[in-house]
Amino acid sequence: MRDVSAWITGLAALALFGAGAGSLAPETGVEAVAATMTGARAPIAPPRRIVSLNLCVDQVLLDLVPRERIAGLSFLATDPSMSVLHREARGIPAVSGSAEEVLNLDPDVIFAGEWTTPATVDLLRRLGRNVVIVPMASNMAGIEEMVKVIAMASGEAERGAAMIAEFKERLAAIRVETERPGPRPTAVAMQVNSIASGPGSLVDDILTTAGFDNLAGRVARGPTGRVSLETLVATPPDVIVLANAASNYRTILADNLRHPAFRDLATTRPAVHIPMAEWLCGTPRIIDAVARLASARQRLAATGTLGRDAGSFK
Amino acid sequence: MTHGKDLALAGLAIAAFLLSLAIGADGAGLPGSADAARTILFEVRLPRAILGFLVGAALGLAGAVLQGYLRNPLAEPGILGISGGAALGAVIAIHTGIAGVAAAALPFAGLVGAGIATLLLVMLAGAGSSSVTLILAGVAISSLSGALTSLALNLAANPFAVSEMLYWLMGSLSDRSLVHVWIAAPAILLGIVFLLSTATALDALTLGEDAAQNLGVDPGRLRWQVVGGTALAVGAATAVTGAISFVGLVVPHVLRPWLGNEPGRLLVPSLFGGAALVLLADVGLRLISPLGELRLGVLTALVGAPFFLWLVLRLRRDLAP
Repeated sequence: MRDVSAWITGLAALALFGAGAGSLAPETGVEAVAATMTGARAPIAPPRRIVSLNLCVDQVLLDLVPRERIAGLSFLATDPSMSVLHREARGIPAVSGSAEEVLNLDPDVIFAGEWTTPATVDLLRRLGRNVVIVPMASNMAGIEEMVKVIAMASGEAERGAAMIAEFKERLAAIRVETERPGPRPTAVAMQVNSIASGPGSLVDDILTTAGFDNLAGRVARGPTGRVSLETLVATPPDVIVLANAASNYRTILADNLRHPAFRDLATTRPAVHIPMAEWLCGTPRIIDAVARLASARQRLAATGTLGRDAGSFK
Repeated sequence: MTHGKDLALAGLAIAAFLLSLAIGADGAGLPGSADAARTILFEVRLPRAILGFLVGAALGLAGAVLQGYLRNPLAEPGILGISGGAALGAVIAIHTGIAGVAAAALPFAGLVGAGIATLLLVMLAGAGSSSVTLILAGVAISSLSGALTSLALNLAANPFAVSEMLYWLMGSLSDRSLVHVWIAAPAILLGIVFLLSTATALDALTLGEDAAQNLGVDPGRLRWQVVGGTALAVGAATAVTGAISFVGLVVPHVLRPWLGNEPGRLLVPSLFGGAALVLLADVGLRLISPLGELRLGVLTALVGAPFFLWLVLRLRRDLAP
């Protein structure tokens, strides 16, 4: 009798989770439920061996789930240039993405990003594993949904709700300042290969939330729109946001950041430096980047300059 | 009379150069304030136009010299893997950090890569080899250097490996600065001098290797001029702009019906023709894809590949009994 009731509770939880995921991406939600129901391991107890194949899920898991329940993280999780929690990730087995490695870890839930190779996901599911596809956040609202999905599937709904509440609270505090009427300085987040994320991208929402008007929205096209150097020189933004110094990159694609015309621009205009790891992933930790940009905007409004910025420009 | 044709081609190349200065990412003219306009003209467009000119000249000329020296109409730095070798050298230099040590390290690495590829090719196929041997050797060198480039990019754990691969395969003049001009121009110009000096020897070579030797051509010296000149010009060009394909193939073939079949006669015109082609392709690129998503090599391949097919068809018809 007790077994039956546990089953029903489990199914209810599944339905709930399914609905949550379904509202974001209908097909992945349905598939996730089906996979869970046919999965060999009962999902009633919180999973004890969690594996993530996605850098952004890694970050959420490290904040959400006790370390001993994380059986594996993506190989990028320990990379300081991409992972905010690279120190915390050390010592946890790294997975480069092959199904074999994942199976060796014998996980009871596997988190994959939307862009994880479909072949790997299919194979794991055919082998009866519980694979949860996590929708990647491209704005502040998406972050809540992402945490909700991960929290549900890892049996940490309560902690997840607390994380979301804290995130929303800090977000609201920032918005009180930035949504006041007044001039919105323009900004461009210039990256390697002249990419300046436009509307629809996470970076665009970070800039907008911090009270800036993303210039890339006017001059670039699409979420990974590029901005030409000529455009940047002709219509310079009030603030340039940079991830890393050009010397951090050993690639010819970073030549746009080394270009003398760009360097002149970045040294004569206010520039904010936020390491790539801090704004790469749409997780609650993004709020730190938003807060720094928002305070930079306030300083700019108050003094006309950014003073001695802000951030760790190496 | 023939000098008139050279002058006409030089005029075309200069016109293309000026067009390249006039047309930017946002269309014709100079946007922004006077200060911004000056920066755009001198720091963004001028380096791009100078490099377009030099790279096109290097590729066109190298194509004409290789076709003459190997006595093979299919010879071209891109198809034969010389550009690929140069790209490999440049990628290794960038990802090991050597390129950051001295300004000359990057073009030098490109030059070494191109030199090794050219040497391999000349050793494998040799002068006067059949088209099949030459192309087979070229395909082998191309795919080997492509595979090694991709391996090097992956071993470097470079998050931009895929985009960067595209850059090296397709070439680009975007965001090039005067720094690139300074580091690449000396080697390209030296290579051009080497390549131009082969003109009379190449003409003699059309009579056969023995006859050429009787006419005073030193085969060893000629080989070094060709290999060295190609390595310098194509190697340094590719190290700063990636591999731009088909220029060296198309230009001499387009000019041949107009200027005749003497290989030596084709060198100067191919130089200007190559410069004009790359500059015009780059201007076209800015009009089609102002933000630079489309790579330069895409456009030259769009022109070059159908031409190559036509060439294959014509060769087949000529060879048919």
